[in-house]
Amino acid sequence: MSAATQYYIATIVVYICVNVIGAWGLDLQFGVTGVLNFAFILFQAAGAYTAAMLSLGPASASGGFQHYLVGFKLPFPLPLIGAMLVGGALSAVIGLITLRRLRSDYQAMVMLVISVVATVVAESVVGLANGSAGLSLIPNPAKSLTGLTLQTQNWLFVGLCVALMLIVGVLMYGLVYSPYGRVLRGVRENEAAVEAMGRSATRARLQVFIIGGALAALSGALLAQFIGAWAPSEWLYPETFVFFTAVIVGGRGSISGVAIGAALVAVGIQQAVQYMPIGSDPTLLAALEWIITGLLTLIFLWLRPQGLLPERRRRYLRRVKTGFAATKLQESAGT
Amino acid sequence: MAVFISAVGFGVVTAAILAISAVGFTLQFSVTNVFNLAFGSVMTLSGFVAYWLNHAGLNIWVAMAAAAVSGGLISLAINEAIYTPFIRHGLNLFGMVIVTISVAVIFDHGLQAAVGPTFFSYTAPAGKAFRFADFVLTRQELIIVGIAVLLTILVQVALQYTRVGKAMRGLAINASLARACGVPTRGVIALAWFVSGVLAGVGGVALFLDISTFTATTGSEFLIVIIAAAVLGGIGSPRGAVLGALVVGIVTEVGAAYWNAELKDVLAFGVLIAVLLVRPQGLFSRLATERAIAR
Repeated sequence: MSAATQYYIATIVVYICVNVIGAWGLDLQFGVTGVLNFAFILFQAAGAYTAAMLSLGPASASGGFQHYLVGFKLPFPLPLIGAMLVGGALSAVIGLITLRRLRSDYQAMVMLVISVVATVVAESVVGLANGSAGLSLIPNPAKSLTGLTLQTQNWLFVGLCVALMLIVGVLMYGLVYSPYGRVLRGVRENEAAVEAMGRSATRARLQVFIIGGALAALSGALLAQFIGAWAPSEWLYPETFVFFTAVIVGGRGSISGVAIGAALVAVGIQQAVQYMPIGSDPTLLAALEWIITGLLTLIFLWLRPQGLLPERRRRYLRRVKTGFAATKLQESAGT
Repeated sequence: MAVFISAVGFGVVTAAILAISAVGFTLQFSVTNVFNLAFGSVMTLSGFVAYWLNHAGLNIWVAMAAAAVSGGLISLAINEAIYTPFIRHGLNLFGMVIVTISVAVIFDHGLQAAVGPTFFSYTAPAGKAFRFADFVLTRQELIIVGIAVLLTILVQVALQYTRVGKAMRGLAINASLARACGVPTRGVIALAWFVSGVLAGVGGVALFLDISTFTATTGSEFLIVIIAAAVLGGIGSPRGAVLGALVVGIVTEVGAAYWNAELKDVLAFGVLIAVLLVRPQGLFSRLATERAIAR
């Protein structure tokens, strides 16, 4: 394989991993629990900026060509961990404002506003994260390893992304199919029932808001390290919509489904548009990408609202079949 | 002091544009319970209708009237062709927000594909400048403020005293009771979408006149400020929307004069978040409380 092809494949794999991790974060919030987080992209951005600031070193060290709030030069896993912590903390703050007292579609509206405000602040307060120019020269942890070829370093980063995606996937399965996951699905399906069982729906929403925010931040951190730059134009509020489409297309609440949805929507559409015979006008291609994304959402909501790989339901009923409840069920079915 | 007064003057113009749009947004929400995130796209589309007519040689105010009608028709068409079928299909409110944002994305980028990423502007003279103490407003700005006052009063009077206005209010408070009392809900809902679209059309043209250059996504970008004004006033209350528009308009322009022009919207959103923390149902809260939107 030529170096260019290798780089192309590596890029696609990294983008898929990053988007799958992000989409899982949103799936936990929107798919499993039913929280409409229209500020989702803000948490990805928070992770990207944090990872950048934790690995760039002090702003003055790079000759002062870019300005940002604080800078540290921490070794490999710390910037990613820091990003997740900041993403979770920011989620906690915004969740406390929005999730406690508002109806779900109204929450969405308010979060949309918050997402836009954050972009305006990041663009105009240059001292925060270098304004609309954004941060650049963000170190890639694999590239700091000396004695390796550029391609090996690239594949090493791909390996890191795949490994993190698998770890997050395993954790997702553990969380979603645990008793706690049932509480979350209960919040989505019947809030009153959950409250009647003595669980706080608001607390559950806030918890998934924080976990999802941390996952969004992780995906943002990886993306920023891979691209090496991060600017407000990367996280305008419509970008959140791409993640929503990924979750809807894949199947709300379904872990494997959402992974497929993320790969198809966030990476597949963009690649497909490149090969369409409509010329190479970047504005037209971008517009077409958005139109396809929008249409796909409408088509799926109409024809297949459960998504490509629907969430498995009544999983626990099968297990119950051998027990007491099953005999009762058979009795009642027999009479 | 002079700076303050002239900032308030700009604020009144911004508030006028906001009020027209926010009343349209909130009125349609109160009747139908759907948060229409495609409202900004209706503004942009009708703004472009006015642009094409204006560049075909029509006076801008005539073009604005045409934009109002086409805005109403577009809004009605979106509801009949997309929203109502989805609601009948059994989609909940929660899903409807995603439907409306999909429509907004499709419209905005469809328009962008058609007209390109360039900036557009109307050919309309700003007109003579009038001076009231330290207020300086052009003729154009005065007309916009006049239209806003007229339209918001008209909507308020119609809601308060006409039969159809009462039907709308009834539908907003309790849809099934209104239907049981013989209100032709379908027709009233269609009318609400039409009126909302008309206000979006007028608001869109007024906005594009005020900021002088616009693109295919300007309406949707402004929608965020409209939402802020409507939420601040108490969602579903046209009176609240006017009050919210005044607060947001004046706070942003005074903030721009004294603090930082780029951060003026942040100030308005800061007010919004403060209000949400203390009184999430907004200033005029009846409908918001009724619908259990905020507690």
